Amino acid sequence: MRLMKTSESYIFPYVDIVPQLIANSVIAGAIYALIALGFNLIYGTTKFFNLAHGAVAACGAYTVFAILKIFALPVNVVVTCVIGAVVAGSIGYGLDKFVYLPLRKRKASNMVLMVASLGAFTAIQAVIAILFTSQFQALESSGGVSGSVEVYGAIITHTQVVIIACGLAIMAVLGLVAKYTLFGKAVSAIKDDEEVARMVGIDTNKIIGRVFFIGSAIAGVAGILIGFDTGIEPTMGMNLLLKGTIASIIGGVGSLYGGFLGAFVLGFAENFGIWKISGEWKDAIAFVVLIIFLLIRPEGIVKK
Amino acid sequence: MKSEIRNEKEILLKLDDVHVHYGGVHALDGASVAIDEGEIVALMGPNGAGKSTVLKAIFGIAPVHSGEVLWHEKRFKPVPHEVVARGIAFVPQGRRVFKYLTVEENLEIGGFIVGDKKELARRMAEVMETFPALKAKRRTKSGTLSGGQQQMLAIARGLMVDPKVLLLDEPSLGLAPKIVKEVFENIKEINERHGTAIVVVEHNIKSILGIVDRAYVLAKGKVAAQGKPEELLSSGVLEKIFLGEK
Ligand SMILES: Nc1ncnc2c1ncn2[C@@H]1O[C@H](COP(=O)(O)OP(=O)(O)OP(=O)(O)O)[C@@H](O)[C@H]1O
Ligand SMILES: [Mg+2]
Repeated sequence: MRLMKTSESYIFPYVDIVPQLIANSVIAGAIYALIALGFNLIYGTTKFFNLAHGAVAACGAYTVFAILKIFALPVNVVVTCVIGAVVAGSIGYGLDKFVYLPLRKRKASNMVLMVASLGAFTAIQAVIAILFTSQFQALESSGGVSGSVEVYGAIITHTQVVIIACGLAIMAVLGLVAKYTLFGKAVSAIKDDEEVARMVGIDTNKIIGRVFFIGSAIAGVAGILIGFDTGIEPTMGMNLLLKGTIASIIGGVGSLYGGFLGAFVLGFAENFGIWKISGEWKDAIAFVVLIIFLLIRPEGIVKK
Repeated sequence: MKSEIRNEKEILLKLDDVHVHYGGVHALDGASVAIDEGEIVALMGPNGAGKSTVLKAIFGIAPVHSGEVLWHEKRFKPVPHEVVARGIAFVPQGRRVFKYLTVEENLEIGGFIVGDKKELARRMAEVMETFPALKAKRRTKSGTLSGGQQQMLAIARGLMVDPKVLLLDEPSLGLAPKIVKEVFENIKEINERHGTAIVVVEHNIKSILGIVDRAYVLAKGKVAAQGKPEELLSSGVLEKIFLGEK
């Protein structure tokens, strides 16, 4: 995400910077939305904060890095990204199957599940650092998405265009799946009352496993896109996780549209918040927004 | 495979000496209950007697410590979605419809295991015929339905799998007497039309005894009495258990 430098905001006239701020807000919002969508899907069905979600996003990015940079395989960029998403999805699925599901079967509390997910987060991050070193790396593609476009004076790179498009497209697809497929309705039923969902014949663990795959694959997409935009490092998941979590809390935790809305609210708050101050304040602004919401509207924008 | 009229009724579903422990609480302490094909059986007893736990044990959602559950005389280890696939449907206590889904969507979820779209549509039409009130509200979010309508929806949702046994946990709870009468009429109708065996947990002794073939009276996790309604009424055992308990 490109920041406008503080000094520039004084050089450029008012009308010039606003389009760029809006563009930056939308780009940030789209990334946060991708994280929040998966996070909320998983939270909705399991009711615990899956902290490993951030590390899963990093797995997507590092898969692409391994294919394109380390092994330099002659694979199409889009195919590589799909592979990255599938790997991230599989890791999320595996976490559920081998860590969370056994714990749920033992009636572990949501706190225990969250702590387990924190452990998974740390472990995954460590494995990434061991395999790929802790260095910050670039992930630019060997063709395809480079260059930029100008929209009302705002400069948006092609990667960022893809980010916005993916954010909107994935949200739209999830919305359609939720409304029109039996799977989507089963997810809604599990969100509402998992025990009754089981009583009426839904194999809820199977559905939850799929939710983990889908949510984690979307996180993988977010990790890959941010990798192309700004680069990757093993700890990249933490920031993504924080922003995704804040987005889903201010939007309405567990709610599909809430997470999406919250992500853009957060993106705009961060980018307009640093209009007159240094970009380092972004994270602080995010937490201020979070605290404001927790104080005045803890249930989030989208109330159930 | 519609079953013809049998000479001797097979015991469809049976709980044999089942013990359920919630930590130190013995919710069931050696309960044995049997349901024949096509009959309506009541489970009665004071609060905490273990009535809901009997149904949950059949469904594999209660921690069964020992004892057996048998389906067509064969023992099985209950897993909820497999139990439903065998033809046993559960309508839990407290209605518990999926409140963010519409009436129609609730029924779709009820038929989740059916798979075939056409068959699902056929059953939905049939169920709506039994409950015309639901048909009128098919696109309404079920959270906004009245208590009586939600109870009917919960029962209708259970019927979507064309069950051989329907387990109803306190369907009259919190409903006005007139609505309770309606619900019981529906239950009787389902039983007569489809030959569905029904197990109904009920506090409302007088109103339920009119429609049931047999009743079990539970107390403290055990079967304290069982028999035909007239027998139970005349024996005075009901008064003893319900009033003596207090
Ligand atoms: N999940 C649970 N955890 C701990 N104890 C439980 C649980 N479910 C039931 N019990 C206990 O098991 C006993 C039997 O409960 P059950 O729900 O079967 O009673 P019931 O006959 O259905 O009562 P009611 O008329 O109030 O519904 C009660 O003492 C109850 O407190
Ligand atoms: Mg009960």
